[in-house]
Amino acid sequence: MRTKSSAKLKPCWWDALVVAAVLLLAGGVFFLFYLSNGSGSDHLTAVITHKGEEVERVDLTSLTADKTVTIDGTYGMTILLSTDGAQVISAQCPTQDCVHTGKISRAGQSIVCLPEQVVIQLVGAKSDIDVVIG
Amino acid sequence: MKLTTRQLALCAVLTALALGLSYMEGLFPVSLLIPLPGIKLGLANIVTVFALYELGVWPALAILVARCLLGSVFAGNASALIFSMMGGVLAMLVMIVLRRLRHLSIFGVSIGGAAAHNIGQIGAAIITLGSTAPVGYLPVLLVVALFTGALTGFVVSLLFRAMKNVHLMHE
Repeated sequence: MRTKSSAKLKPCWWDALVVAAVLLLAGGVFFLFYLSNGSGSDHLTAVITHKGEEVERVDLTSLTADKTVTIDGTYGMTILLSTDGAQVISAQCPTQDCVHTGKISRAGQSIVCLPEQVVIQLVGAKSDIDVVIG
Repeated sequence: MKLTTRQLALCAVLTALALGLSYMEGLFPVSLLIPLPGIKLGLANIVTVFALYELGVWPALAILVARCLLGSVFAGNASALIFSMMGGVLAMLVMIVLRRLRHLSIFGVSIGGAAAHNIGQIGAAIITLGSTAPVGYLPVLLVVALFTGALTGFVVSLLFRAMKNVHLMHE
């Protein structure tokens, strides 16, 4: 059989090229997404989006007490915002992925809930500028 | 694509197997062992890789599309369709290209496929959420894809070794 006999079954050094390409891509995305996202700043803002619409934008650095935000929907959730980060403390969904993500504390990090379409994203100070043109 | 009855039956069996595997996978969530949300072994991709090598491009693509459609019907979740479809089709395209590079073994091909699958799913997440936030999770998924892809390649290589004297396509 042509197709089966053409399959190389043992890993070879050429496969390492694929592994290297994947690692390079992972590193590249990591670098672009986190290191160029204003993560160096010590000023954190949490932006909460629900079904594509921004529902809350909280300056975490100037927060004096912990703040909870409740999202209502098919699967509601409760988000705890504190000066050092954001965390989903409870959710009414079956998978609980957002709760398992734990606490995020650096700019560029995000908690994503796909079923309820909620994104909690931490942005650095640079995000005061909406768009940079040129 | 002109299929013999034998090939058609084989496609149907493989589609059922892929559906069974992805359902079974839900019973043993890997995320309990590794605390990373949304991580899956991707057992159904074993069928995709196997079909690509054993049956060729078009039957493999047909099995993939049938699996995605039926899977989302059974799950009763239409929004899952865009995720499995984008991941699956992108993985398939990358594997078709990688397989043509004769130097790569089945391991390299399936690792490339697993990585492409994750890229496709992040793409689907970007579309559904209307936000680029999911991109931040891609590096983690890509590193995990190295392991899940290697596992898929390993299983398919075992399968082909075991089936050395079994000829599915003709008597």
